[in-house]
Amino acid sequence: MTLPLGQQLKIRTMIYVAGEPIPFFWPMRAFIHHNPLHGLEHLPFPEAVATGAQLFHGRGFLSRHAYQRYLAQGKVDRAALAAGIDEFVAQQPAIPGVDLSHWLMTLLTRGEQPIMRSTSLADAKEVHAAIHGREQPEPRVDPDTLTAMLHDTLLDACPLYDAVDRLYGTGIGAELDELVIKSCLDFFDEGQSVWHMPGRKQGLFSAWRELALRNARLFMRGLHIERILENEPHPEGVIASVMSELGIPEDKWVDCFSRELSRLHGWAGFIRWRANAKHYYWSQRYPADLVDFLAIRLTLALALLAERSRQRIATDRSALETLIQTRPRETWLRHELHSGAILPAYAQRVEQTLARGRAKAIEQCFDDYVRARRRHDAEDQAAHLCQLATRADANAALEVLTSDQLATLMPVLQQFEDAEGMLWLRAMEAQAMQTVLRDINLTPPVPRDKRPFAQALFCIDTRSERIRRHLESAGDYQTFGIAGFFGVPISFMELGKGSETHLCPVLLKPKNLVLEMTATAPADVAATTALEKVLHELKESVFTPYVTVEAIGMLFGFDMLGKTFLPQSYNRWRQRLYRDKPATHLLLDKLDREQADSIVRAVQRAVVGKAIEQEFELEPEAVTDEMVRELREAALGHATRAPALSGTLNLTEEAEQAFIQRLRSVYRIEPAFAQLQREQLARIGFSLDEQTNFVSQALHSIGLNRDFSRFILLVGHGSTSDNNPYESALDCGACGGNHGLINARVLAQMANQPRVRQRLRAQGIDIPDDAWFLPALHDTTTDEIKLFDLDRLPSSHVIYLDRLRSGLTGASRLCAQERLPELQLTAGNCDPAEANHQARRNAMDWSQVRPEWGLSGNAYFIIGRRQMTQHLSLAGRAFLHSYDYRADPKRRLLENILTGPLVVGQWINMEHYFSTVDNERFGSGSKVYHNVAGRFGVMTGNLSDLRTGLPAQTVLDQGHPYHQPIRLITVIEAPYEHARQAIEDVATVKNLVRNGWVRLLIIDPEQNTAHIYDHNTWQSRPLPGGQADEQPTESTAS
Amino acid sequence: MPTGSYLLIGLFLPLFPLSMGFNFVLGKSRSTLLRIVLLLLWPQIGLILLPMLDSPVPGWIIPLALFTAALYALRALALRDVGQWSGFLATSAWALLWIARQGDMPMLQLHLFALGFSAPLVLLTLLGAGLARRFGAAYTGLYGGLAESLPRFSAILVLVVLAIIATPLFPTFFIMLVTVMQAATFMPLLAVGVTLVWLLWSWAGARLLQGFIVGPAGDEAVIDLNRLATGAYALALTLLVASGLYGLGVLL
Repeated sequence: MTLPLGQQLKIRTMIYVAGEPIPFFWPMRAFIHHNPLHGLEHLPFPEAVATGAQLFHGRGFLSRHAYQRYLAQGKVDRAALAAGIDEFVAQQPAIPGVDLSHWLMTLLTRGEQPIMRSTSLADAKEVHAAIHGREQPEPRVDPDTLTAMLHDTLLDACPLYDAVDRLYGTGIGAELDELVIKSCLDFFDEGQSVWHMPGRKQGLFSAWRELALRNARLFMRGLHIERILENEPHPEGVIASVMSELGIPEDKWVDCFSRELSRLHGWAGFIRWRANAKHYYWSQRYPADLVDFLAIRLTLALALLAERSRQRIATDRSALETLIQTRPRETWLRHELHSGAILPAYAQRVEQTLARGRAKAIEQCFDDYVRARRRHDAEDQAAHLCQLATRADANAALEVLTSDQLATLMPVLQQFEDAEGMLWLRAMEAQAMQTVLRDINLTPPVPRDKRPFAQALFCIDTRSERIRRHLESAGDYQTFGIAGFFGVPISFMELGKGSETHLCPVLLKPKNLVLEMTATAPADVAATTALEKVLHELKESVFTPYVTVEAIGMLFGFDMLGKTFLPQSYNRWRQRLYRDKPATHLLLDKLDREQADSIVRAVQRAVVGKAIEQEFELEPEAVTDEMVRELREAALGHATRAPALSGTLNLTEEAEQAFIQRLRSVYRIEPAFAQLQREQLARIGFSLDEQTNFVSQALHSIGLNRDFSRFILLVGHGSTSDNNPYESALDCGACGGNHGLINARVLAQMANQPRVRQRLRAQGIDIPDDAWFLPALHDTTTDEIKLFDLDRLPSSHVIYLDRLRSGLTGASRLCAQERLPELQLTAGNCDPAEANHQARRNAMDWSQVRPEWGLSGNAYFIIGRRQMTQHLSLAGRAFLHSYDYRADPKRRLLENILTGPLVVGQWINMEHYFSTVDNERFGSGSKVYHNVAGRFGVMTGNLSDLRTGLPAQTVLDQGHPYHQPIRLITVIEAPYEHARQAIEDVATVKNLVRNGWVRLLIIDPEQNTAHIYDHNTWQSRPLPGGQADEQPTESTAS
Repeated sequence: MPTGSYLLIGLFLPLFPLSMGFNFVLGKSRSTLLRIVLLLLWPQIGLILLPMLDSPVPGWIIPLALFTAALYALRALALRDVGQWSGFLATSAWALLWIARQGDMPMLQLHLFALGFSAPLVLLTLLGAGLARRFGAAYTGLYGGLAESLPRFSAILVLVVLAIIATPLFPTFFIMLVTVMQAATFMPLLAVGVTLVWLLWSWAGARLLQGFIVGPAGDEAVIDLNRLATGAYALALTLLVASGLYGLGVLL
């Protein structure tokens, strides 16, 4: 039975909508920092956090204890905290005798744990009695209330199998996850396994269906999925059939799908991304989407429920409804027991009573348990309130509260504790804003009488802040911040690779392809690489691992000892086994039509030549140009015969025509394919106009349009670490999680072209002839900066290289010295040389779970001139984007910065925020337990959801946050109206600001005022030394 | 009075269904001290009564003893209450004394074997009382993450459970080793059965620990074992290891 097309499309649409809140998960080879609540960014931050908490069962804020630590360290603005409390109190009813502001401040700053329990059964009267040590009133349990509560909890808020688990402790959810994960691992494997799942080209559901119908393990496990699958060949049909069988009404399907997807949100996010990544090799080859995923999940869920139903338990919606209606007390006791909410002292009795199943005993047990539970909750609540009152020095006030007043106070406290995360967050952000506002420098730079020795363009990455500061202090260097792809989105095909890599933010889709080429002759696969491949196959195959261990285990032992005890020397020796990558050139210039035709012709000739050699087993010297020309013409339809070949080989006409046909069908020598090749070739390189525009835009956007130095370094960045699946998370986010060197080489090559410079002059950017753009790579793990493409450097510049290198080395060492104490590699401080040595060793140490702190600590995004923060040590916490508003009267450059780099910065910031506040749910937990899954992700242990977010070692230090989780404080140095209008014109950023996903600060250097967007309005305040009013005022535009 | 004797001895050296008696009495005992006394004395009484049988142990008792041991070990897999778990493990272990007896083990050694099985269970009973004091009951799966919230307590709990499930160096390990080796001499299939029971204990122990030790810790602040108590438990465990090694010396 096949579902009608309309119904199929409807189900697809529902799943599309249900999948919206699930964040994409990119393969870890190119780790992309992203907001785990990206799908909820249309909501205000607090609402999105609450929704995210429901959907992903994760916390949106730190614990109170963690915030109190920050308060003690002076990282929370107490006045802002008090103001937040006052604001809350103003909206609450007054309670006689209770100084609510004081109580709440005490609760926040001195209470260790939340005091209100949302699951408490005790009402205010019972708590009141408990406070005064009186006998508790006899509890009343309204069966209708109980039924309604059970209905809400079990039927509307969780998947059906989850409800069954909560009532019977059946563990279906865990088993289902395990089965789904195993299926996903089989299908999505990208070369980790030696034996592959058959039929993957048909797509996820079809391949799985084929196997599942013949899976003896499932059959022996009692899962008869053939009953579900036999009549439904399509995933949509299976989904519809399962949902009907489970008795779930259609209006609840979308919610149900969302819950199912969020349960394994790592896998769902990966599949969702993959289905959208049309250029992704594995996705093209083995297609899969969320519809397939859900069909598999629901099929297995139904099969598991059917299997459990043999134990005579309710396993469908109507049976659960009946159970709740007819036996609410038993159902509630079951829920208490199996959801873990039960009072431990009653657990055994409840378990035994339920097992015996005697109605009267269950009723008695229920009455006793409810009484005990209410008493426990009331006493617990009373104890917490008394503790709070004691701390607030308000015992007398609590004593005299009536039960009605207590009934008013308790929901207020509950509401406050629900909202306290935002209060802490805002107070912490207020402190961070004050820090930067206090020290900002708006005095104009002193005019220079000569150009700097060198200028360096670094990525805006927070790690560049330190190295820039040290480079500036090392000599006459001027630095700039620009997004690490240098404004040039590239699709890059590396030498020896057959696929393209996008080197730009994931928000962009590059149009231009850059090829890496070498003039050296092609080499055979190095012996070491071949050996490694053989070892991999021996290790991963089913039969060979034992033999491998016996035969060559010692080799691995040697490797292990070397890597562990002498990481630096051993790795250096090991590197010698690999062939060095040859010097390469980047194919940057666009091909004209004639060149493209010529290349296509050359390729066709080569293919025809090879085809003759292979098909007729001829030696190359026997293949003449004439043969090739005739065959090519014939295959393309420009001729009918190829007499040279026929004559040489005595072929019949039929054989000749068959070969010509084979050239068309197998070797693709045909007009349509030639056209496709021309189109592909048209993507290679950049036209002169494009090159000029990219260079012009890059220089304009950072305000560098005059006073060019002899050296203009374009410093991309990347990292080095060993045994680290998160390596690319430490690379450049603006380059799609790759090293930034290629983009630097591309822009340098463009900017060094005389024809480009000529055109730039016409645009008012006069780059002197002796100015040379030089690409470089900043290794953020070792802090070393390495120069590239030195073979292109004019001889006139070679003499200055020593000075340049010396400055870079000095900066690197000082940077390592500053950074190393935070990594706790050495006891106390060390000198720059030692720091440099330790950092290099760290990068090669395979046991190191934290090669560097990466972007952890990010807090600011500063858009403005370098002078504003040059004197400040921002401790690697700021993204620094150079910008001069005077060079951007139309706000176009600012809008570009907001659209690209700021959004990427916000993703990075939110990734760190959520990974810190709940590392288990939004982060990926400890690296120590991670295992690589399918070569694209990691799992905890041998089987888990794909771990998204950042590991504990990146954001936590000994269990406490290292990264201070605050929203990105974006500082724009520009006149207020100029900046505000730019924000208004970029819809994405406008929404991020209005919904509170970033905090925005405009520093108006002309008015010497700061404008902060807060509470849906712009508020202005004077800067130190300013002439404006002392009190914040509301700006006119909002 | 052979039938009466068998019934009486089968109660104290538990044989199904008489084994229910011990678990009933243990389940009704609320006092920790009483539970400890029961755990220590119950099998000793059975062993004291054993010489009442003037004839050799009939053949059908051995399969019944093995069945009892396997049944209680299997049931222990699903138990969450520490008290009940201790009772089931004790029943399972003491039932194996019949098999040791069948292998002509001297009575003194049998008494020591019974003590070897009981001693770690006594420690678990004490720990269970500690959990009940802290959380209201010693019941798995309700409050996990003890490794984080009560590190010292967790370490002791793990070692005690390892002692109960007969891991090397503890006396239970050597007792099981001897029992298996003896069983292998007169009925190899019996040795396989005893090994299977041993395996079930390990599984049950792992499940018990999993319900307490791993996972995120609760929000409530709880007090860990003090140094003195930790030292006392450590001393008891060291004595167990020492006696295990002494037993090994005797065996060799």
